[in-house]
Amino acid sequence: MHSVTAIVVAHDGARWLKETLNAALRQSRPLDRVVGVDNGSRDGGAKLVAEIFGAGNTLTLPRSTGFGEAVHAVLERLPRVQNATEWLWLLHDDCAPDIYALEALLRVAEHNPNAGILGPKLRDWLDRRVLLEIGVTVNRSGRRDTGLEPREYDQGQHDAVREVLYVSTAGMLIRRDVWEQLGGLDVRLPLFRDDLDLCWRARAAGHRVLAVSDAVAWHAEAAARRRRRITATEGHPRRVDRRNALFVIMSNLPFRALVWSMIRNTVVSLVKTVMFLVAKQPATALDEVGALGNVLFHPLRLRRARKRRDQKALRALYQKGLRPLLTPPSAAFRRLADMVQGYLVGRGPMDSSGRHHAIAPTEDDGDELLNDDQGWIRRTFARPGVLLAVALTVVALVAERRILAGDLLGGGALVPVVGGASDLYHLYTGPGWAPPYVIAVAGMSALALGKTWLAVYVLLLGCVPLAGVSAFLATRRIIPYAPARVWLAATYALLPVATGAVASGRLGTAVVLVLLPVYAALAGRVVSGSRRAAWGFGILLTVGTAFVPLVYPFAALLGVLALVGFGGFRRGTSLSLAIGLGVPLVLLGPWLLQLVRDPGRILLEVGVNQAALADPRLSPESLLMLNPGGPGAPPFWVTGGLAAVALGALLLRRHQMIVAVGWGVMILGLLVATVMSRLSLAGTWPGVPMAFAATGLLVASALTAHRLGEFSRAGGAKRIGALLIAAVAFATPVAAATLWIRTGVDGPLTHAAHDPLPPMAAVTASEGEGTLLIRPDRGRLGYTVLRGRTLLIGEAETQKPPGLDAAVAGLASGRGGQDVKVLAGEGIEFVAVSGTIDDRLRRALDSEPALIRVSLSGNAGLWRLSTPVTPPSAADDGDSTHRMWLWGQGVFVVLALVFAAPGARRTEVVEEEYAEVPVGVLV
Amino acid sequence: MRKLIENRFGLLALVVVALVAIYGVALASRPPQVPAKIADPRRVTVQAVSAVCPDPGGATLSVVTPPAAQRASGLAKVTEIGTDKPLTTRDVPGDLWQKELDDKSKAVRIDAAGDMAAGLEAAQTSRATSGAGRGLAGTRCVEPGAAAWFVGPGPASADTTLYLDNIDEAPANVSIMLYAGEGPVLSDRGNGMVLRPGEHREVDLKTLAPSPLVMAVSITTATGRVTAAIKEEVTGGGVDWLPLAAEPAKTVVVPGIPAVAGRRELYVAVPGEEDTVVSVKAVLKDGSYALKNRESLDVPAGSTTTFDLSTGLTGQPASLVLTADRPIVAGLKITGTGAKPDVAFTAGAPPIDIGSVVADNRNSDKDHVTRLVLSAPFKAAKVRLQLLPRDGTPLPDPTEVDLPAARTKEIKLTGPKGGFGVLVLPEPGSGPVYGGRSLEESTKQGLLITAQPLALARIWALVPPVVPSPEVVLP
Repeated sequence: MHSVTAIVVAHDGARWLKETLNAALRQSRPLDRVVGVDNGSRDGGAKLVAEIFGAGNTLTLPRSTGFGEAVHAVLERLPRVQNATEWLWLLHDDCAPDIYALEALLRVAEHNPNAGILGPKLRDWLDRRVLLEIGVTVNRSGRRDTGLEPREYDQGQHDAVREVLYVSTAGMLIRRDVWEQLGGLDVRLPLFRDDLDLCWRARAAGHRVLAVSDAVAWHAEAAARRRRRITATEGHPRRVDRRNALFVIMSNLPFRALVWSMIRNTVVSLVKTVMFLVAKQPATALDEVGALGNVLFHPLRLRRARKRRDQKALRALYQKGLRPLLTPPSAAFRRLADMVQGYLVGRGPMDSSGRHHAIAPTEDDGDELLNDDQGWIRRTFARPGVLLAVALTVVALVAERRILAGDLLGGGALVPVVGGASDLYHLYTGPGWAPPYVIAVAGMSALALGKTWLAVYVLLLGCVPLAGVSAFLATRRIIPYAPARVWLAATYALLPVATGAVASGRLGTAVVLVLLPVYAALAGRVVSGSRRAAWGFGILLTVGTAFVPLVYPFAALLGVLALVGFGGFRRGTSLSLAIGLGVPLVLLGPWLLQLVRDPGRILLEVGVNQAALADPRLSPESLLMLNPGGPGAPPFWVTGGLAAVALGALLLRRHQMIVAVGWGVMILGLLVATVMSRLSLAGTWPGVPMAFAATGLLVASALTAHRLGEFSRAGGAKRIGALLIAAVAFATPVAAATLWIRTGVDGPLTHAAHDPLPPMAAVTASEGEGTLLIRPDRGRLGYTVLRGRTLLIGEAETQKPPGLDAAVAGLASGRGGQDVKVLAGEGIEFVAVSGTIDDRLRRALDSEPALIRVSLSGNAGLWRLSTPVTPPSAADDGDSTHRMWLWGQGVFVVLALVFAAPGARRTEVVEEEYAEVPVGVLV
Repeated sequence: MRKLIENRFGLLALVVVALVAIYGVALASRPPQVPAKIADPRRVTVQAVSAVCPDPGGATLSVVTPPAAQRASGLAKVTEIGTDKPLTTRDVPGDLWQKELDDKSKAVRIDAAGDMAAGLEAAQTSRATSGAGRGLAGTRCVEPGAAAWFVGPGPASADTTLYLDNIDEAPANVSIMLYAGEGPVLSDRGNGMVLRPGEHREVDLKTLAPSPLVMAVSITTATGRVTAAIKEEVTGGGVDWLPLAAEPAKTVVVPGIPAVAGRRELYVAVPGEEDTVVSVKAVLKDGSYALKNRESLDVPAGSTTTFDLSTGLTGQPASLVLTADRPIVAGLKITGTGAKPDVAFTAGAPPIDIGSVVADNRNSDKDHVTRLVLSAPFKAAKVRLQLLPRDGTPLPDPTEVDLPAARTKEIKLTGPKGGFGVLVLPEPGSGPVYGGRSLEESTKQGLLITAQPLALARIWALVPPVVPSPEVVLP
């Protein structure tokens, strides 16, 4: 014989209350008694309860009363029923039970006499098929786990009567004697996890906790999802939940497990905090830390709570039967995998929707509607972008046939590439301020499995296809007309600047060529005020500037002009622009200061800027045709088609503004290119300003190109004209590709470079000992000192002059004397000569008594000092300023990356429309 | 402005004007074509010199450093190899030191540092009036090197002894290669000869190749350095040292042929793999021309050929200019007159652009003649002669000699009785000057003679401009 009292606690839940109350009354197993409690609702809840349950069955409590307190208050007033097992059925105001719920619960209770607590299967209030929980468990750090997938539909797949760690108080059926034995819900936990605590204690007292899937209740989880204001406790529900979870776990674990749990929870919480920060959810992170602190900094409270509990029973429970009910540790990995997966599909790095399975708005899958009637290969290769990439790759491979394979890649502006990512990393973090592009190359090398040569190989030899793909993808939003984009990308990729950069080994120009279209694409979003795009733009601009400093003034000038031109009527544009232009200033600070002190270097790019790599007498027509001269530059008329089309675009009546802006960029680029070309004795090469100019011209022309399509459709003379114009336009990339393939890449970049450090010297020289490398060139002797290895990328242009001019001159003259001693004092063990060795130099070195000739051939010679050498004492490990700067830079890079990364989408709090649930007939 | 942009032709005109302006600026600023400049080398004074006199026993050793501009610091030490005590240490430039060493003296090394090194020159001259080694024999004391060439009569026509010394601290691995009249002599014995530091070795070239009548000898070291000298006692009388010949080149000047009667025999070797034709031009007192019927000679690859020029030169002071389309090495044998003739050798030599010093000269009188033969085969030159007397005698005033283009001039040197050094210094702006010096002594049985081409003085060394440049690592 059972007697069931339903207790419905209402608090600002009028929205759900009516249905809940009615559902309680409609049970197939009628309730013996009903009590409604209203905790000071302001939405007329009290009235509603009184209306439906009757005034006698209604209790009104102050607004700050918690759920547990409310139940306690009811029980104080509720008389006992004799001769019957008395049950309490706790209901939230937003939890409407199915009509058979109570019947099912009681049936199970009858079959399981020692079941003290039973809970129904909870489904979502809105989407009534979605499962919320069938009993809940926690892991050792207090994380709730329902064992369900997010948004899992209930198809009976979990149906069973199951032993669970705990059930929610929403719909909880508890024997009154059990309640009284345990002292009921802990009133110190006014909200959240009081259920966990209660069930844990019930288990410790030897009662079973069962989840009954035959009983169903619909739960709106209004408090957890912040559908209503919580007044029982202050603070964000997320923090309260977290705090209570930790508190309950720590109160109920035996002492040894408690210590372990404290350590574990501290670590886990800190890690989670960092992750939330990375996920750009600072509020969540704060809550995480706050909850932990709240528990840890009140040890007395915890002690009191533990004292109240029967520790012996709890310990016995923990040792006996609790473990299988907790979440297994492997679940953490599964969750991590889910998280990463979610990040990859762009759902944001962390699911922070809180305590319950929030029903996040899902993305429309509209983009994925694929046409199934074609094979994958046909589908892929029918895309213009893929076709373009393949064509450009083939062109590049054929043109670069002479340098595809060989020994070391080097020549022109590129020192022979040796070493790996870690060498570059050590160069950058080591003593001396290495240029920042070193760390960029190190990063790319790390992506290339640590092989610098592979990174350089892909970047430099793949510069043409990469630039093409980059231009094609970056203009996707700007230029919708696909043929125009193909033309733009192909022309851009095959610009004389690109072929010249490959031939001269200009890694800097190659990188900037790939980045420029991305700048153009991002710039549009920066100007429209996107903060995230601004961070991304800032990072990429930093990379470009590190390779070619001139990029920065160009971008800054264009950015400021854009701000003046368009920024006035868009909010946030100036801030976004400031971020985009400020990131490089911060990240490259000290290096930029160096540049400012030596302004000539702004016009140079990374690598060895030899004057011989530029044409000092670049003809004016080459300049106008965007042909930078130097090795690998085609005849000037190759870009004629581009110029003709761009001039023609000026005549269009529409898009005048865009064309004017494009030509403005072109003229600006040309001016800078002219200046740089006339300074070429200092090693400048006008490639990058020409790339800027070409970008302006190409975008202007391509944006107007859809008019050709219109003309073509118009038919007749217009159609012929359009075809003609298209032919002229495509003549540029076609001619450039043909000429490039015909001549091929023929130095100075070569793949047959040898390590300038003779193997003998590399093997024999011990720590700190160096090799003096001399090379006669047009009557002059160049020299450098190599220690242990040849120069790395980034070392060549920043190497401090060894200051051995006098000694080297003396040595090369054969005058005898102390020169060798000077070298020995610098730790130089070997003297190597490369290039054609003239007789005088050979004789001079041979006549030096302290030098022993090791080997000599037509173009290489090696001498060794016969006297003992003293390697200079190792330089100190960099000053603390440098170290601090590196740390600061690292932190800022991470921050900028976080800001630029796609974060959790800000979900707008939409007032969901609650469907009108048909109200049944009262029983 | 806006109106201009909105007008389609206005914008076009604007752009065209801008482009034309850029074209104009670029055209105007286009630099003129300048030929690539080859940097000129700079001169520095030599700081250290070592030289070895191969066999000074019984010979007169002369050591001199030309005078320095200011008070000198530095020291020159003359030491017999294998002993520690120096024969002398010198610290005054411009002062000639001469000494006749006793017969048992071994090879002598001279080490000079600081200002005493700049231009240090040493020579040994021996004189014998009877016996197999009758004659005057002189040689410069040579610096250690990794390569040396000699051209002269072969082991079949003379006793040829090679003197090798290693005065460095590292062992030297020496290879000797002979080019005979029939071609290169292949012999294992000349390869891989290792001289320990401080070792002196005399090699009879007969043991390497007994049959060549004429030879060119190339001495190279794979590692280390040696000094090399060859003494020739010619069958039929006459003795002298072979001077170092200039390294193989397509144009070789053999200077310093004195105006004495007797045979003149030219030796030319082609070390390469291909035959060549050598054209011979004599630079004489009255001009430079090809000798009649002696215009050219064919030299087979890898071999040495002789060429008799006695009738063409007829006792005139001369230099020879040899040109070929392959690198050649050349030397010349001078045979004196008399019942017992003596021989002397000269060889291809470099121009003495930065001067030359001859350590051992004697005053010309009735029986003795010291001749300086100077040639300017290509361009007129002017040289300054400075005598360097011994025993602290003040320096006499220098004399100047004009050398017209393509002419040879002979100067009989007169000076203090005891002997003197001479510094030959071309004036700035001069063309290349070549020269030689001969010592003669008339005896009843015939003329005693020795000769040597002027060698580049070790005063200055030429330094190309030096720039620290990481570009050297580029391929």
